[in-house]
Amino acid sequence: MGNILTFDHIDAGYGRVQILHDLSFSVEEGEVFGVIGPNGCGKTTMFNALIGLIVPNHGTITFNGHNITKMKPDARCHLGIGRTYQVPRPFEGMSVYENVLVAAVHGANHNEKTGRQVALDALKLTELYDKREIRAGELTLLDRKRLEIARALGTEPKLLLLDEVAAGLTEAEVQDVIKMVKNLKAAGYSIIWIEHVIQTMVEATDHLMCMSEGHELLIGEPRPVMDSKEVEEVYLGVEEEDEEDE
Amino acid sequence: MENNGIALRKPVKILDGIPMLIICIVICIALYILGITKTFSNNTMRYLLKIFLYITMGEMWNLMSGFTGMTSLGQQVFVGIAGYSVAVFTSTFKMSMWLGLLVGAVIGVVFALLLSLILFRMRGMYFAVATWLIAEAVRLWFNSWRFVKQGAGMTIATSQIPKVRELYIYALTLCIIALVVVYILLRTKTGLGLTAMRDDADASSSVGVNIFKSKLLCYLICSLFIALAGGMFALQKGSVLPSSSFSIDWTVAMVFIVIIGGVGTMAGPILGGIVYVILSEFLAHFPGWSNIILGAIAILVIIFLPDGIIGTLQKKLNFEIFSQKRLSEPKKVKGLKEKANMA
Repeated sequence: MGNILTFDHIDAGYGRVQILHDLSFSVEEGEVFGVIGPNGCGKTTMFNALIGLIVPNHGTITFNGHNITKMKPDARCHLGIGRTYQVPRPFEGMSVYENVLVAAVHGANHNEKTGRQVALDALKLTELYDKREIRAGELTLLDRKRLEIARALGTEPKLLLLDEVAAGLTEAEVQDVIKMVKNLKAAGYSIIWIEHVIQTMVEATDHLMCMSEGHELLIGEPRPVMDSKEVEEVYLGVEEEDEEDE
Repeated sequence: MENNGIALRKPVKILDGIPMLIICIVICIALYILGITKTFSNNTMRYLLKIFLYITMGEMWNLMSGFTGMTSLGQQVFVGIAGYSVAVFTSTFKMSMWLGLLVGAVIGVVFALLLSLILFRMRGMYFAVATWLIAEAVRLWFNSWRFVKQGAGMTIATSQIPKVRELYIYALTLCIIALVVVYILLRTKTGLGLTAMRDDADASSSVGVNIFKSKLLCYLICSLFIALAGGMFALQKGSVLPSSSFSIDWTVAMVFIVIIGGVGTMAGPILGGIVYVILSEFLAHFPGWSNIILGAIAILVIIFLPDGIIGTLQKKLNFEIFSQKRLSEPKKVKGLKEKANMA
């Protein structure tokens, strides 16, 4: 299958501070593409450039055949890029179902009748279906993260961006998340997944990119990338200690 | 699973549908009949028409601040503009008060449209302060504008002032229209987005809600109805003054009504409007103290009932009145009792 997303020599940052330096990678359609890297290496900045919160100084981003480098965020949302927030931001006063319905109606231009089915499907995929009438403010952390994903799915994306959805969860919950991502992949979504929890990356991704100082350090199959010397140097030494702390 | 406790919780009861509609229609018709048949004394009608106008204003301010997050402190500008329009058309041009009211509303909406160009670049505190400054600037302008007799103010031609009973009917009609507009608006696609914006504006834009369009629509509707209500207040008083027509007291009243009743609920401002008028009439016996007492009540409500009276009751008793809630099951026509049994 072809590439759904290509970053081509991207330089980007905030104001004069350049975070991404000559970043290039591509994501194949239908795959789970993992992104790791130490704090401050530019993972979230890469997402911001991808959804349009910042515009790159140099380079091009191609999504599904469109050059989206300078497009506005809502236009990218309508093209099919769905994001989740690292810290879940549900619409707390609305029910779980309404949260997703907003995305289906406004993000995917459904009316409320056709949007209903889209929302229910997204809730089934994220295992929130039984809790659909609960106020989103009453959800647990795991369910809030599920809701973030369900809401992104409501916009009918082709590419789904997951920003640390496993962070802060218990080991059993992390397994749930891995299962859910595998379901999403089976349902045909392409996924980019930023995560610090190493286990998720090895188990669930097809390709893994390790970033360092705003540049791609290594891209490849998850296991070899994890085992490589370079990655260990910039990243794993620190991370393994963290894991033991937990 | 650890979430069972939540999953088993009863869904929210929705007080809506046919029974509620019948109750509302009965109340409205009763209010009309009691007004037309002179069952109410003139004094009672004076109170009630104030309540209707304040409910209209509160409901509109709630739409802006409660739903779109635009906390305006300058809505009195529309009260003043419409009041002056009525005065100018009836006294200076010797024309009908309806024309004055209509022109006042149109000027209000056009003015709001112009203001939105500047104001919508600001958020939060900056927006609030800017709206207030603009209202003050307009007040100063009227204070020195010869055509409207400067600080001395104007009187509305007595021949044009409607009887209390007529004004009561107009105010009731305006209030009902305002409530119906808000009710319908919240049930449209835009209304779904507005409810999302109420909870988190940034997150709502990232799922495709057009924030600018929603804000503009609310601001224009709000300006229109506040202008109409303001024009009717001027008719009730019989005169306009820059210091009182453009007074921030109008907005303070709207804020009070919304806070007491419950921000972001439709029933909140209805209760808030009733409470405000009763309180302020009662407190009129204690001049000088009234604002202090109203302020203290508002503070107590903010501390102990941050969701307002209606908002707190809804959360505690797990119901929603006039709810814009969307249910995942297609709606069936059911009685109030059966609504609780969905699961």
